[in-house]
Amino acid sequence: MTIVLRNVFTKSLRDARRGLIGWGISIVVLVLLEAALWPSVRNMAELQQFLENYPEALRKLFNLDQFATGTGFMNAELYSLLLPILFLVYAIGRGARAIAGEEETGTLDVLLVTRVSPVSLIVQQAAALAVAVAALGTVLFAAVMTWSPVFDLGIGVADAAGGSLALVLLGIEYGWLALAFGAAAGRRAAAVSVAAALAIAAYVLYAAGALVDAIEPWQPLSPFHQAIDGGPLGAGLPAGYAWMAVGAVVFVLAALPVFNRRDIAAR
Amino acid sequence: MKSVISTSGLGKSYRGRPALIDVFLEVPPGVIFGYLGPNGAGKTTTIRLLAGLLRPTAGRAEVLGLDTVRNREAVQERIGYLPGEFVAYPDLTGEQYLEYLANLRGGVDPSAAARLAKRLDLDLSQRIGTMSHGNRQKVGIVQACFHHPQVLILDEPTAGLDPLVQREFLALVREARQAGHTVFLSSHILSEVEAVADMVGILRQGRLVEVQSVAKLKAQALRRIDLTFEGPTPVERLRQVTGVREIHPNGSAVHLVVEGSTAELLEVAAPYRISSITTHEPDLEEIFLTYYGQG
Repeated sequence: MTIVLRNVFTKSLRDARRGLIGWGISIVVLVLLEAALWPSVRNMAELQQFLENYPEALRKLFNLDQFATGTGFMNAELYSLLLPILFLVYAIGRGARAIAGEEETGTLDVLLVTRVSPVSLIVQQAAALAVAVAALGTVLFAAVMTWSPVFDLGIGVADAAGGSLALVLLGIEYGWLALAFGAAAGRRAAAVSVAAALAIAAYVLYAAGALVDAIEPWQPLSPFHQAIDGGPLGAGLPAGYAWMAVGAVVFVLAALPVFNRRDIAAR
Repeated sequence: MKSVISTSGLGKSYRGRPALIDVFLEVPPGVIFGYLGPNGAGKTTTIRLLAGLLRPTAGRAEVLGLDTVRNREAVQERIGYLPGEFVAYPDLTGEQYLEYLANLRGGVDPSAAARLAKRLDLDLSQRIGTMSHGNRQKVGIVQACFHHPQVLILDEPTAGLDPLVQREFLALVREARQAGHTVFLSSHILSEVEAVADMVGILRQGRLVEVQSVAKLKAQALRRIDLTFEGPTPVERLRQVTGVREIHPNGSAVHLVVEGSTAELLEVAAPYRISSITTHEPDLEEIFLTYYGQG
């Protein structure tokens, strides 16, 4: 008996393995390319002056004042937008497929007519998603730790770990949101749309907070702000991380009673 | 004896549109129950209600004495279920898929799947995505049966099966009955239900219009008989026999349509020296048509 088909959790991780390999390779390559740019950027003669010519808003948004350090460079180039997008796309896609996807393809019926209850199904799928996103975060951590000394970026272990943690939590929050909405509504495309729309809204709030003084007090409500404010490389362990975890759990808890009581659509 | 499947006033509406209306149904243990009706009559809705995948909007359903809403998990653990559109994971082999479901169910005899697959002539080492429709359906039948459930709930189980496999499937169903288990299967094809069912329920536009034993239905049914006489045909005498609905003389033969028993007819006809009798067993098709023919 193979262990991978023992329960929904292990089966879900098994299904994730191929995608994880592809995404992992992409991240390793991305970090490599970006890190390889660092020596030439650092040696730019008028880097500081060049950066000061950027509009203040952009300097704030991408934390460009730190751009002259390896950590700040990676924050601005990868951790402020590109990596969050990658983690969100991966997590939202998986989350939407976890239950709504199975319902739409028709495999959910037989799955539920076993000992597996709707609640246990959500919990197992949510756990598998968290593990998959964490695996992606670990790959990112390993890539940064590998390329940092090679290209002299000077990123410490704790900084790299904190950066990965921020993205993993952001990914899990929106992945679980997609999973929860998919479980409640039974439609995969709608789950993707809702989660993506809320992620964009969070980014807009974060960006607007950086640009408009009147919005700034609301900025901490944005998971983007919680994830990448002041870092995430070198930000330590801000309290905002806990809010992402709380948000993720709230989404899943809200979906449990709905999925537990609703009709399962026939194919 | 207590019913294995019992519904009272069971109904289901989708956004106010009724799909199933006020169904009272009792299926005793050890019975093969054929659930008949044309597509869209509410068969799948009933089956999904029984399997706990839908919640009734009216009335209630019990399986093995357990309410399908309040004791859903207990019901789902005890039944075998084949959905009308069975879909399995295309990237798994038949063997992997059944192993997965066996793990989710727990306590399944590991050799049961292989044994059933062999009987149905199904190659479990093939990936489900590359299987023909018929072979996928066989995987569905195996997963419904391999844990020897007390109740089998099967939605159009023979769809896509070739006749030889159909026969083997019917043998499986009969064995389940012999083991004291109850089988509830839906179909819109009457001959296959007739071949195996003890009782049938006939569903029409969301309403259960008839529940009857197959034997009784057949007894009520119109029988067609051809009598060939050695001498002259006693057409007028035969016409007076009770139960004779139609009579068509044809040379030395007479074609009759009789309702119910043929005992009296044969008693009357015997003295006129019958050289041959051909009877045509009534099939549910004709019985069925009388229900739907009423408009």
